[in-house]
Amino acid sequence: MKLGVRTGWVYLPVSLLLAVAFLPFLWMILSSFKSLAELYHIPITWLPNVFTLVNYEKVLFDSNVPRYFVNSTIVSLGSTVLGLIFATPAAYAFSRFQFRGRSVWQILILMSHLLPTAALIVPLYIFLGYLNLLNSLLGLVLVYLVLTLPLSIWMLTGYFKSIPLEIEEAALIDGASRWGVLLRIMLPLSLPGVVVIFLYSFVATWNEFIFALSFASDDTVKTLPIGLAEFSTEYDTDWGAIMAASVIMSLPIAAIFLGLQRVFVGGLMAGATKG
Amino acid sequence: MHAEAKEPSRQLPQGLTPPGKPRVVAKSRSRLRDTVSLQLDRPFFFILPAIALLATFILYPFVSTILLSVTDSDHAWVGAENYVRIIESERTARATLNTIYFVAASIILQLILGTAAGILLNERFKGQAIVRALTLIPWIVPGIVGAMTWAWMFHTDYGVINSLFLSLGIIDEPVRWLTNPTVVLPALVVVNVWKMFPFVAIMVLAGLQAISPSLYEAARVDGATFWEEVRYITLPQLRTILASISLLLIIAGVNSITIIYAMTRGGPADRSLITSIQIFVEAFQYFNFNQASALSLMFFAVATAFIAAHIWIERRHAREG
Repeated sequence: MKLGVRTGWVYLPVSLLLAVAFLPFLWMILSSFKSLAELYHIPITWLPNVFTLVNYEKVLFDSNVPRYFVNSTIVSLGSTVLGLIFATPAAYAFSRFQFRGRSVWQILILMSHLLPTAALIVPLYIFLGYLNLLNSLLGLVLVYLVLTLPLSIWMLTGYFKSIPLEIEEAALIDGASRWGVLLRIMLPLSLPGVVVIFLYSFVATWNEFIFALSFASDDTVKTLPIGLAEFSTEYDTDWGAIMAASVIMSLPIAAIFLGLQRVFVGGLMAGATKG
Repeated sequence: MHAEAKEPSRQLPQGLTPPGKPRVVAKSRSRLRDTVSLQLDRPFFFILPAIALLATFILYPFVSTILLSVTDSDHAWVGAENYVRIIESERTARATLNTIYFVAASIILQLILGTAAGILLNERFKGQAIVRALTLIPWIVPGIVGAMTWAWMFHTDYGVINSLFLSLGIIDEPVRWLTNPTVVLPALVVVNVWKMFPFVAIMVLAGLQAISPSLYEAARVDGATFWEEVRYITLPQLRTILASISLLLIIAGVNSITIIYAMTRGGPADRSLITSIQIFVEAFQYFNFNQASALSLMFFAVATAFIAAHIWIERRHAREG
């Protein structure tokens, strides 16, 4: 929309911006390939003197990280899929029906989407205790629905609204039921949207920290973010392993983001507040 | 039943119903099926599963939290005592001040940096798409990863920041970024700003693209400089979106548990403890669930006020725009 390139001045602030955004991660990646001896050496080295995979070996073969990686995958996939299943009919109703209280429900769902997770840790801890689901992957899947469900409803409603009514109308006239229309017409037509929501929910739950910290203290159910924080104790912190684990944890997210960069940005705007 | 339909749901929205015969056919068929399927097509049945689930995981737990907040650990009624005790606690005062400092300082810097970055990314230059994507990295990557990376960079003895500042002569001796009580909170603000400014930038970018180019054309004709355009066109046009972003940043800011907890656990001596972490600490370190419940509910009330303000601005904006 701007009228054209003014001068070359723009490249100076652009490189500054890139440096601010990207250098910390470059440092993380470089550090992950340095030996501990090199990491704890003054003066510090910029590029690794000796390029080593020892940190990765430690993380992959000599720690609980692979186990946590599996746990994270199960929990993220589970809550994402469940969230989508519950969100689909609700989003359809919000996009296609006029009914009493519709906007009130929509506002309540938006509010539950924006609600800071800290306000929910005590209530959910007590609730999971009642259900005997503390320290279980199922418990984490269920509480993560609080993150994925409102977001999925919100975004899916938008996608459904963008599908022309005429297609649906024809099916209804031919005698299809509303549920039939939803499953056989609306869902297939909004598949690109469903993919974006799926990935967004996956990322949100993959990164989640405080619920996992509060509700899953047992080694068998811990997720990656907790596992990462675990490498650092008060007296002994293995920074090489932390940097390697950080790289490993970022890889799926980076892959998703790079693959779907364009569609993803709009979706992220919809769900920026859950820490 | 909350979501009772005003009209039979099968009927198509007004103005879209095809006229004439097909409509009659559809209607008579639908009546038959409505009776057969016990009206499963009503909107209520579509939203019921989701609403029931959210009610179970938000509403029901909340009721039990309210109960906990007015009882003691033996379930005996104590009235407002938990509230009074937690409000009078020194830790709460410290955490509240820290939260206000952390959120306010973060927002000011996030808005300035984010708006500048948004305006910059809206300019035309080579590699614009890649730069836009790379700018988002701090925001995309897991919060815990960002926190650990900065903790390593802030390391007193082997961290790259001290090393760099020492060699440039900015500081004379290593700064204990995460353990010095006066430095820790500003250091955490830096990390939080770095994490969230890309979000502001992208939102601003979206807002900029909605500004009519004719405004800039008129300004160019009048010979406006770049800075005059920013001052008199861009910023005034962005006012609503910046207000809306600020509220989102407040909501995200009070909840920035991951960064702070992973880097300092709220220390040293509660100097970086914010209210959201205090809730966690009261409950899981001091096992004081009753006071933690009282604190949760007060935190919830404040957060809800900001959320309501955000939704109000957004809806007003949508109506006007």
